[in-house]
Amino acid sequence: MIEIPFLTLLLFLPLAGAVLLLAMTTRERLAKATALTIALAETVLACSAWFSRGDTPSPGYFLFVDSPWIETLGIRFTAGMDGISLLLVILTAIVTTIAMLVSWRSITERVALHFLLILAMESGIMGVFLSLDLFLFYLFWELMLIPMFFLIGIWGHDRNVYSAVKFFLYTMVGSLLMLLAIIGIYLIHGEQSGVYSFGLAALTGTSFSPATGFWLYGAFLLAFAVKFPLVPLHTWLPDAHTDAPTAGSVILAGLLLKTGAYGLIRFGYPLFPDAARTLTPLLIGVAVAGILYASWIAFAQKDMKRLVAYSSIGHMGFVALGIGAWTPVALSGAVLQMVNHGLTTTALFALVGMLDERAHTRRIEDYGGLWNKIPLFSAFFVLFFMASAGLPGLNNFVGEFLILTGSFKGAHLATVLAFIGVVLPLVYTVRLIQEVLFQEERRPLLLADVSPRELSILAFLAIADLYIGMHPAPLLEILKAPVAVLTGGAP
Amino acid sequence: MKTYLELIILLPLLGGIVNALLGGRLLPRRASEFLACAVIWGSFAATVAAALAYKAQTSVEIATWLSDFDFKAPLTLYLDPLSLSLCLMITFVCALIHTYAVGYMKEDPSYVRFFALLNLFVAAMLLLVLAENLPLLYLGWEGVGFCSYALIGFWYTDPKNATAGRKAFIVTRIGDTGLGIAVVWLFELLGTESIPHLNQMGHLLPTGIVTALGLLLLLAAMGKSAQVPLMVWLPDAMAGPTPVSAQIHAATMVTAGVYLLMRMFPLIGTSPTVVAAIAITGAVTAFYGASCAVVQRDLKRILAYSTISQIGYMMMGVGAGAITASTFHLLVHAFFKALLFLGAGCVITAMHHEQDIFRMGGLRRTLPGTFWPFLAGALCLAGVPLTGGFFSKDGILGAVWLKGGMLYGGLYVAGLITALITAFYTFRMVLIVFGGEIPLNPPFIKGEVKTLPRIMEWPLIPLALLGLFGGLLNLPEYLGNGFLHSFLAQPGGNEQALPHTTELLLQGVAAVVAVTGIVAAWLRYGGERRVKSLAKEQQPASGIAAFLLEGWRLDALYDLLIVRPYTRLSSFLWQKLDEGVVDDSLDRTAALFGRCGRWIGSRGQGRVSLSLLGMAVGAALTLFWLAWVVL
Amino acid sequence: MIVPLAHVLVLAAILFGLGLVCTLVWRSNVIMLLIGIEIMLNAAMLVFVGGSNHWGAADGQVFALVIMAMTSAEVSLALALVVYLHRRKNTVDVDEFRELRD
Repeated sequence: MIEIPFLTLLLFLPLAGAVLLLAMTTRERLAKATALTIALAETVLACSAWFSRGDTPSPGYFLFVDSPWIETLGIRFTAGMDGISLLLVILTAIVTTIAMLVSWRSITERVALHFLLILAMESGIMGVFLSLDLFLFYLFWELMLIPMFFLIGIWGHDRNVYSAVKFFLYTMVGSLLMLLAIIGIYLIHGEQSGVYSFGLAALTGTSFSPATGFWLYGAFLLAFAVKFPLVPLHTWLPDAHTDAPTAGSVILAGLLLKTGAYGLIRFGYPLFPDAARTLTPLLIGVAVAGILYASWIAFAQKDMKRLVAYSSIGHMGFVALGIGAWTPVALSGAVLQMVNHGLTTTALFALVGMLDERAHTRRIEDYGGLWNKIPLFSAFFVLFFMASAGLPGLNNFVGEFLILTGSFKGAHLATVLAFIGVVLPLVYTVRLIQEVLFQEERRPLLLADVSPRELSILAFLAIADLYIGMHPAPLLEILKAPVAVLTGGAP
Repeated sequence: MKTYLELIILLPLLGGIVNALLGGRLLPRRASEFLACAVIWGSFAATVAAALAYKAQTSVEIATWLSDFDFKAPLTLYLDPLSLSLCLMITFVCALIHTYAVGYMKEDPSYVRFFALLNLFVAAMLLLVLAENLPLLYLGWEGVGFCSYALIGFWYTDPKNATAGRKAFIVTRIGDTGLGIAVVWLFELLGTESIPHLNQMGHLLPTGIVTALGLLLLLAAMGKSAQVPLMVWLPDAMAGPTPVSAQIHAATMVTAGVYLLMRMFPLIGTSPTVVAAIAITGAVTAFYGASCAVVQRDLKRILAYSTISQIGYMMMGVGAGAITASTFHLLVHAFFKALLFLGAGCVITAMHHEQDIFRMGGLRRTLPGTFWPFLAGALCLAGVPLTGGFFSKDGILGAVWLKGGMLYGGLYVAGLITALITAFYTFRMVLIVFGGEIPLNPPFIKGEVKTLPRIMEWPLIPLALLGLFGGLLNLPEYLGNGFLHSFLAQPGGNEQALPHTTELLLQGVAAVVAVTGIVAAWLRYGGERRVKSLAKEQQPASGIAAFLLEGWRLDALYDLLIVRPYTRLSSFLWQKLDEGVVDDSLDRTAALFGRCGRWIGSRGQGRVSLSLLGMAVGAALTLFWLAWVVL
Repeated sequence: MIVPLAHVLVLAAILFGLGLVCTLVWRSNVIMLLIGIEIMLNAAMLVFVGGSNHWGAADGQVFALVIMAMTSAEVSLALALVVYLHRRKNTVDVDEFRELRD
């Protein structure tokens, strides 16, 4: 434990920054600089948690905050950080910083508001990854939605309002059901034990009749499945991704999708172990269907952003498979895959955003022969798309391979089908690379190679991708203790 | 030993990385080229040092890689006779090819990308060979696949080249599914990924599972080693620069599938079904490749089909349980096929990138420095007695004969027929390209035949010598003991030897077959008859010739069965199912709610006071109802 | 002096009724409508305070304070709206403001 309320600082620093930015709406450069400074400070904070966690990872939370908040209702301000949260918190800080950097120049209207919303969203996402009180969790869960709604609605392109509303309605329906379920579990637990509490630790172990457990877990699962997104609840995602500004896409794919998976790991399974086990075949089935279906559809896409969006659905299917298997190896693979997908997809959206910024088109058929013109950009393009296609040595492979290894035991058929799902991303990836980078140019486009700012983003992500791909041991080590606790085995 | 092993892999990797990062701007061209070659030669030197220091099988853990709970796949290298002999071959052949490539790519502006990828390929290939556990092998396996993809499509501005690269990558990846499943399954069954351990524990598994595993590994090998039915990518892969074809698609990567099966043979060899399946695949492929090679007009495609065919022989050898013979053929084939490809590269360069053999001729006089080594390679490929190719091919056929029975008897006959065709097409190629008179074609009329840089011709010589005298590596028993045989003999291996008389007899048969093929080729294309035969063959192919020319029309078949349905269904799923049904139904629901709201709104008057009154009345009614219930 | 809870409730009910009548009847003036709402809110507040007194718990009084703060905010916002609307339509009759219908 650290003397200063470390987690509180981590949670509210971006929000405080957002409030600070309110005062700078007219001074855009200052606002940008302030926002970036705060995001960087947050990154430093998040990374310092990595080093302050002590040498012996205890099975519990190595950072913990618990203080009364609304006592009469049993609501407490409880937040804790274990290995899973730590990785995702670091990911959040990094991806947010990158989201700011990629939109550094492309946003020209209402700049301060844009960065303000990003900061507010960062707080919300941090809160989701750290809360251990269901009420608090729900609060942050909703908090992260609203800025995204405005990001898509104000700075999006094409059918931005349609997409924003669709995104909002979809997630709202899911989360309102979850709110009902949260209240339900709160009441049931209160009746059983006489202590009314929203705390995760208190609620874990509450016993339900099978039917009640089924419906409560169903509501949770629905909320998380929308976020994941699992087929067939995924159709908001291609629209939202395509129409969002680059920063919005980056945060959406890099972070928001992870909250669903995280919720399932942190709340869904521990709270309703029986119901979760009953519904596992459904989860695995939907996951594998999503892997195949989305990867197949991605092949037909004409818009690069939409292609990446569908690829995200496919990759998140792997995460769902790993969670559904719920074995130590598969679960740690799933968490690692969340981090991997966050990094890789961030890079992919950044790349597409850079092209869009230069040529103002995202249609694949407008490009061609880019390797000749912008070789550095093209090299990164190949690297990240290969990472996304699961080339060994790069990060996504590690996660996917662990998931498949871990889930083979319980679900032979599903894993075999998922292996086919490993081939399909390659099919659309090499098609995209060929059409965009190879061959002759199809339209004369004025393109400049990456600027130093873009180079630093891409190089950072490339190093991260390679590092995790070649040496994932430290990350897996930190996941070991919490995963062992969750799966009920010795570390 | 650890240092040597590390150097073997790290040197090419380092070369690739340095070239990729610094090449072009910071390094002058000479330095880039020198670096690329030097690291491979350095790797060769390290391999030789490792071979000299070699005493017994060793595995060296260099670093951790994947390690999660009970799942462990460290970065461990495993050196045994099999991997050592392959490493020696790979580093030596690749070093020669790198040197050659300096000459071949002399005028290409993208030399940095070329050499960086070529170096990376070598690193990945060596990792594949030296890997101690299956995930690590998979890392190398996919690494070489990626480099192959990038190098086939090296001249990417032509859509044909880019498509060829893409096809190679995807088709091999389909096979890799088998490897992936096998890796995961083996871990579930035996709880380890280490290859030596798995091989020792093979007997713990029931035969049914071993069969399934073996077939999965065979699937992987089919993809990588271009075996029927996944061989369609290799002929197209010739779109890459010729050094790439020589290095990746003749000597090293395409034999990875065979290597995998040999590596895992102690495990999968206990299932008769698997062994028979491997042998049949090999025989069918060998025949397929040879039959297609007979009618090809493109010099490199002939060699590609011949590679498919020769790897089929190796598979057949594995299927007969003759690991030594297979390894022997793998090594010798690497030498003479690399030689043939490099020779072909010389011819193509000299002819200003002309690949059609019907536009060539008489090159024995204009390119003597290429002709003689090429002839040596052709003799090996045709299996002329006393060349390396003769002994190695005979080893495999002998092993098949030894297995006996209906199946293997049939395979032996198929092997012999294939050998006949091989001798025929090999000398068809040699006679057409180098024999006869110089044709009156543009490259000969306009300018002279281009003179070749010396750096392109001298690497042919060591390869020719190795091909011709490679037989010394593993002489038949009656000529003294085979070095390779005793070196590779695995503890507990039970490779039987043929009786000497039978072996001599079989070799006699093989010699007769080879000579017959050559004579047949001479009768058709030698001397006076050449002109007539060529005129006949230059007509557009029809009937069976066209069928063979297009590789048994498998491309068209796959296009019809797989590619087109996949593409169509993809659009269908997207536009009709995803947007049309899933998404549209939601849009309609939303629109329905919207319409309801508007309808109700249009009913109302919009007066605030009226709304208030309504609310008050409603509240009053509710109150009354509550009072009614309570009282 | 102890006021019985019933008295407080009766008083609150009468206040609430007055407020309701005010909002329903005096529709030609938005200001009167707002005053009616204020009266109803005060009635609710009175119930809170009464309940708090009756059970000896402080929660009700806290709520009363919250309601005060809330109403002051609400009134200021509402009056601002009224001023704005008056400027646009030159009237304070609530029934004139019906654009939201569409």
